[in-house]
Amino acid sequence: MEFFKYISKRILQVIPLLIIVSIISFFIIRLAPIDPLAELRLNPSISQETLDKEIKRLKLDKPIYIQYISWAKSFLKGDLGYTSAGEKVSTKLKERIPNTLLLTSIVVFMTWIVGIPLGIFAAVKKETVFDRTLTVVSSVGMAIPSFFFAILLLIFAVKTGWFPVGGLTSYNFNEFSLIGKFFDLAKHLVLPTVVLFTISLSGLQRQMRANMLEVWDSDYVKFARAKGLSEFKVIFKHALRNAINPMITLLGFEFAGLLSGAALTEYVFQYPGLGRLILEAVMKSDINLVMASLMMGTIMLILGNLIADILLMLTDPRVRGTK
Amino acid sequence: MKRIWGIIFLILIVGLFLKACIMADIPEQYSDNVINADIKEIVYPAKERNVAINGIDYLQSQAPLGKFGGELVVSTIGEGPKTFNPCNTKDATSSSMAGMLYDGLVTTNPRTGEVQPLLAKSFEVNGNDYIIHLRKGIKWTDGKLITAEDVIYTYKEIVFKGLGNPSTMDAMIVDGKLPSLVQIDDYTVKFTTPRPFAPFLRQLSYPIVPKHYFKPYSDNGESVFNAFLSPNTNPKDIVSSGAFKLKEYVAAQRVVFVRNPNYYKINLENKQLPYLDKVVYLIVGDTNNEILKFEAKELDVLSIRGSNVAQYKLNEAKSDYSVYNLGADTGTLFLVINLNNRKDKNGKFYVNPIKQRWFGNRDFRAAIDWAIDRKNMVQNIASGVAEPLFTAESLNSIYLNKYIKGHPSDIEVARKSLQKAGFVLRNGKLYDNKGNRVEFDLYTNAGNLEREALGVMIKQDLEELGMKVNFKPVEFNSLVNKLTNTYDWDMAIMGLTGSPLEPHDGKNVWTSKGSLHMFNQRPANYSVDDRLSWEKDLDEIFKEGALKLLFDERKPLYDKYQTIIYNQKPIIYLYSPIRITAIRKKFKNIYPTPLSGLIYNLDEIYVE
Repeated sequence: MEFFKYISKRILQVIPLLIIVSIISFFIIRLAPIDPLAELRLNPSISQETLDKEIKRLKLDKPIYIQYISWAKSFLKGDLGYTSAGEKVSTKLKERIPNTLLLTSIVVFMTWIVGIPLGIFAAVKKETVFDRTLTVVSSVGMAIPSFFFAILLLIFAVKTGWFPVGGLTSYNFNEFSLIGKFFDLAKHLVLPTVVLFTISLSGLQRQMRANMLEVWDSDYVKFARAKGLSEFKVIFKHALRNAINPMITLLGFEFAGLLSGAALTEYVFQYPGLGRLILEAVMKSDINLVMASLMMGTIMLILGNLIADILLMLTDPRVRGTK
Repeated sequence: MKRIWGIIFLILIVGLFLKACIMADIPEQYSDNVINADIKEIVYPAKERNVAINGIDYLQSQAPLGKFGGELVVSTIGEGPKTFNPCNTKDATSSSMAGMLYDGLVTTNPRTGEVQPLLAKSFEVNGNDYIIHLRKGIKWTDGKLITAEDVIYTYKEIVFKGLGNPSTMDAMIVDGKLPSLVQIDDYTVKFTTPRPFAPFLRQLSYPIVPKHYFKPYSDNGESVFNAFLSPNTNPKDIVSSGAFKLKEYVAAQRVVFVRNPNYYKINLENKQLPYLDKVVYLIVGDTNNEILKFEAKELDVLSIRGSNVAQYKLNEAKSDYSVYNLGADTGTLFLVINLNNRKDKNGKFYVNPIKQRWFGNRDFRAAIDWAIDRKNMVQNIASGVAEPLFTAESLNSIYLNKYIKGHPSDIEVARKSLQKAGFVLRNGKLYDNKGNRVEFDLYTNAGNLEREALGVMIKQDLEELGMKVNFKPVEFNSLVNKLTNTYDWDMAIMGLTGSPLEPHDGKNVWTSKGSLHMFNQRPANYSVDDRLSWEKDLDEIFKEGALKLLFDERKPLYDKYQTIIYNQKPIIYLYSPIRITAIRKKFKNIYPTPLSGLIYNLDEIYVE
């Protein structure tokens, strides 16, 4: 009961947050000196009537607060409106979300599967050659900017011809057999995954190592060892369970990054995901599309945090107690 | 010590790796004689002919016979098409994609620029009457006949109602009236314009759409029609007429077209074209990615820019592509001077009256023109892949005034011109005859590297004359706002895309009431007649030019307008980029032309 009360309280808190975020972002976008019609205005064959029609359609003749209210009204009804080119925002997002999710979930899955054990191992084998090598490698991974790494890999792809240059599928994708399709997708996913994986692995692995080291010297680990437990039991039953809490919070943030975290890499690899769509929307001040993506990002962040908190309550009796 | 050696060793290794990545040194520039020596003139065999077989009026291509099959992969930069509805396209990508699917009654000869029949078998022009004879027996992709009904429907219910993109309707209105249209029989229609109107014939290239497919949507109002044929439409449902039909659209990745077996064009053996099975447009985000994809052989065609030309040219011989020079682009880059001498609503001048006297002085403008070193710009900004420009019409325009030869830059001529206008140079600083220091702002849109570089060069050239130039790159949108709304600017570097075929399309720029008459912009509904004498001449030329129907009658008029602009210099043209395109050698029937580019004849191209 306590548990549900907590969740509903959290969900209620979301509402004012969403309103504030939407107001701030809407006004910032609209106050920026970007005229969505600038290109039309400079086209010699576009008449004034056509321009006026476009201004009406995009409601640019109304004051900002009225624009905001009409946007908010349709948003509440679940209608995300149309892009400035006249396409439905919801279909545009639907086209891209699966692609981005495919990439980011592979990356998240891989980094956690590899990063956590690696972090634990590095902590256990502290100050050994293995730990030092890992430190160097992960420093490089953290220091290298993702777009630069992505460009290097693209050049690698061009020179060797082993991998396709960006995109998600080959142009004759639909003629492949099922297995062919799988391999085509895999081939396209390798390079962007490598970029994102290298970068997030470094951070995660360092974080896990640090957490582990923190508990490694604590009394209860020493006590467990003194009890004569096997090293395996000490690590996984006593140390890890205490060290994992901050990682769960981190998992919540990873969830928020599922849709937006890969934008830069997506752009360099011409990956047909949300990142490229939204970047171009911001450039053109395509308000409905930008707002939809911002709202989505906010909701994902809040949801991620909520999930992390619930997981924490399940794993950690101390958190449960205070609530 | 060991550690230091280790580090040095590591640096060496990394350095060697990096060195291995650097290719042979490549000249950054390309001298103009190499470029011009390079224009490959490939003569197209002969004009298409009409051939009737079993009562069907085919169009016969005279190009050499090719092999059927194969595919061509090209690219489109940006976000891809927003719609496949040819009546509702508002951006270049959408209109070229929709243009693949739907043909118009007439088309432009890709080589000469004259109007020739396409879906129409022939046309007759008698004064204001245009009688169009359609091909008998040709079909839409769903097997239904293309008839006069479809033509009447397209014009009466879409174009004349301004559904979708109304710019064709706007352009067709003469004296506030639209042309009339009657059906004479199943395969003949007649248009009548309210008065002689030269651009009309070319406007008939508007795509004809199938009535049975479009009508249910156009009857349901604007918003339904605008959403119709969105990129997510099931390709199987689309009824079209072009050489290729839509196979697949994958958002942000590609658009795939396959051959239309019902296409009405045949080859010399009377077999139905096109040769290619498939044309793929890859949607790429930017030019860098396009180059990478071409290098990785994922693309067959690449338009090459500036500094890359030399590299591709050098490698051409030992590669699998040919590089073609298509001549100057339709785009023009120019410096525009604000001649506005009006006051705003609050009685304040848009342009400072002191500056008004300078900018209004022809000799001042001429001095600027003579001081600007176009050759230097071409060499250093466009890497030699451009041509100096002096005319308002682009260099590939069929209306280009060939008598305007331009001039090299000459600082002495410029100085003399300033002296004549009463300006004096003191300690390297220029003053007008009332002792005001000559100082003004020069704007361009920030982020456009080419224009920013141009601004720096112009600033340098003008400072030679003693002028003080404050170069201010501003956001594109605020620049447009200055030019079209607030008029508070002195000079600006801009570019516009013109039409190489129809100078009347520039009327918004050149006529005194035009909405893009930037150099002397009047607010909407401005009623005072304060036209300069040469502005009156321009108004007259554009009015008369539209009334004359024959090219030979129109040409002298449009020559005159270019002479006026060249003499008065409200807009000082700088250069036009040259288009260089590479295509894999395996593609045949390639006839590059300055007007239409390289792969305009997709239906005739084949793979060897």
